[in-house]
Amino acid sequence: MTSPHPIRLVVADELRRSRLTVFFRLILALPHYLWVAAWSLLMVLVVFVNWLITLVAGRTPKALHDFTAAYVRYVTHLVAYLLLTANPYPLFTGTENYPIDLEVDPPAPQRRLVTLFRVVLALPALVFEAIFLATFAGGGYSQGSGSSSAEYGAGGATVGLLWTVAFFAWFVCLFLGRMPLGFRSLQAYGLRYCAQVWAYFLFLTDRYPNLDPVDPPSTGPVHPVGLVVTDDLRRSRLTVFFRLLLALPHFVWLALWSVAAFFAAIANWFATLVVGRSPSALHRFLSAYVRYEYHVFSFVALTANPFPGFTGIAGSYPVDPELPASEPQRRLVTGFRLFLAIPALAVSSSLGGLALVAAFFGWFVALALGRMPRSFREAQAYAFRYGAQTSAYLLILTDRYPYSGPSLGEPEPEPQPEPEPAVVPA
Amino acid sequence: MAAWLVAVYLLWPTAVPDDLKLPPVDESRIFDDALLDRTDTYERFLRWNGIAAQLVLLAVLALFAWRGWRFMRESAAGRIGTGMLLGMIGLALVWIAQLPFAAADLWWQKRYDVVQAGYLEWAFENWFSLGAEFLFICFWLLVTMALAAPLRDRWWIGAAPVFAGLALLFAFITPYLVPDQHDPSPTLAADAHEISREEHLEGIDLKVQKIGDLTDAPNAFAAGLGPSRRVVVWDTLLRPPFDREEVRVVLAHEYGHHKSQHVWKGVAWYTLLSLPILFVVARVAARWGGLYTPRAVPVALFALVVAYVIVQPFDNLVSRRMEAEADWVALNTTRDPQDARDLFEKFSETALQEPDPPEWAHLFFDTHPSIVERIGEATAWEQRNR
Repeated sequence: MTSPHPIRLVVADELRRSRLTVFFRLILALPHYLWVAAWSLLMVLVVFVNWLITLVAGRTPKALHDFTAAYVRYVTHLVAYLLLTANPYPLFTGTENYPIDLEVDPPAPQRRLVTLFRVVLALPALVFEAIFLATFAGGGYSQGSGSSSAEYGAGGATVGLLWTVAFFAWFVCLFLGRMPLGFRSLQAYGLRYCAQVWAYFLFLTDRYPNLDPVDPPSTGPVHPVGLVVTDDLRRSRLTVFFRLLLALPHFVWLALWSVAAFFAAIANWFATLVVGRSPSALHRFLSAYVRYEYHVFSFVALTANPFPGFTGIAGSYPVDPELPASEPQRRLVTGFRLFLAIPALAVSSSLGGLALVAAFFGWFVALALGRMPRSFREAQAYAFRYGAQTSAYLLILTDRYPYSGPSLGEPEPEPQPEPEPAVVPA
Repeated sequence: MAAWLVAVYLLWPTAVPDDLKLPPVDESRIFDDALLDRTDTYERFLRWNGIAAQLVLLAVLALFAWRGWRFMRESAAGRIGTGMLLGMIGLALVWIAQLPFAAADLWWQKRYDVVQAGYLEWAFENWFSLGAEFLFICFWLLVTMALAAPLRDRWWIGAAPVFAGLALLFAFITPYLVPDQHDPSPTLAADAHEISREEHLEGIDLKVQKIGDLTDAPNAFAAGLGPSRRVVVWDTLLRPPFDREEVRVVLAHEYGHHKSQHVWKGVAWYTLLSLPILFVVARVAARWGGLYTPRAVPVALFALVVAYVIVQPFDNLVSRRMEAEADWVALNTTRDPQDARDLFEKFSETALQEPDPPEWAHLFFDTHPSIVERIGEATAWEQRNR
């Protein structure tokens, strides 16, 4: 059991949002932009001094540590405010007690070698951080037909996962005056990771950022679509090296199956709209398709080791989407399903980017160690679980909206029959 | 067996007269010593490198046949899927083992300015071609392992017609898969039209493939069946040292392939040779549970490659006979043996083909008659038609 990370996110937010401040959020933060720019300039000098001292002394001086911690905390508050992860206007000092707050451990000894090469070592973490928070033009990742106000895909403007969520959250908050729990939990996960990256980069700690979305463990609502992970993290180096090429027959088969699934989904949509539930044959066919899709993705992204089967049989793969049986669905939700699925598709697309980058770095690690890092595998499993929920929603397998938070609740256990009272012989 | 022999008997004859005796050709009177030395050194390296690569290939596949079944634990894909994985892993191991030899080949060809392709370009191409091989082996195993369910060890009887059908399909679509094809110049198109008319072939397209950035080697080929028939000439043939008359010989040769139905015959030969090979593979695999089980796939792969290596000299012989026939048709069409001889001489200069390779190398490696044989055939034609 590893010790808790020295940088921890504390969430005390109650999800309520002021519609007025939500509407003007980006403009209201104008003074903070100036302040954070000035503070960041100063940090350039501080970081350099901090690096030299940590390299020589093996630990950051308390004063510099506190100053840097306040900066990281302040940036976290500010970003949380901009992303609608929290409601109140943040302080300018980075002091504690904001609803989305950071706990930073006191200075601890740091390994000199890790300190010396910190900038290089931080590169993968910075790439992940960019997946969460970047807003720049250039290459991007596109999965499925995800679309939002931003354009996804190579060569387009790339918007980080948290900004995508914030975009849709803005409309929800304006409408409901509340932040959806799933969105808030996803953003909290992203902010926690980004804060750990900043802390690592700025020499607050030499502990590497932890991408695991369920560390520390948390819980969420019960959802009918889950993901069962029984993978043992072991990877065959040979199949890792050739992974993309080995998946070629699956790509061909998946493409063919996708064509059939497209027409089946249209038929399913009509049938569910009329009957109020998905016909069992179509439901079975599309469920197998969703399972197969994520078996293949898991294989390609190194989330699991074995070569998957071609039939999408339930329980046949170590990363296996769990899909519900056909059940009644609301006709109104069915009628507008495609339109309603747009936010989920956009978030799923961004989470796909996270899984892809984890696969990229995981490839090197798995090749070297013969194992996939647990945190990468968990992040991918989270992305794929949400992707499976989105697919199930889009293909009319369930009318339950995808839950974007990293943790799901355990389903209620099946009620067991009362045991027969023991007959005691007279 | 009798039907097989009858088919071989029917396919064997060519338009080249059976009693044709090739006159002796003294290569030292045609080529200067420097060129002979150069082609000899060039080809000798490629030859021994090829032999080493072949030996390593067999060694790797033998090792894989012995231990490869262990990779079954890396699969959750059921019987056929696991077989596919094993097949792909086998090819992947072969690819790794062959990489140094392929790189050495490229290095040598670049050293002699025969190939201009860069190493990175080559590596990418090599990687993508491995992908194509993976798809091929997956399909091969899908067919054989699926047929092994109802037919057990007689799957080869069902597989042979399936593969023959696929070979036909592939032969049909090949002309459409060739990249970077362009229309010929009006002069070249007119020559092609005239030659195709003389060979009583109508409606066969001529295309020019731009490949001069990658290699200096001259080449042309005939591909396609029925409406997809086409002749493709590399642009390396359309520049010096080759002149228009020599290009006409090349065109007549390629149209000669179509006239002699060589694509159809090629598919027929492929089918005929596949039958015994598949039979051997089935017999060998049967000792490891048959191709119904993925466990037999590594052994089947090894048996398949060994069988192809054994059959290779005969396959080459068939190919050389077809090429000689196309040369004969071209001579009948152009009635220009001198330009044919000039063309073959220039093949040695530009592609560094050894005019008269050792007999064993000719047997194992060459799909075309040697330069000396081709010159001899042109001279023999001249003597007959003087």
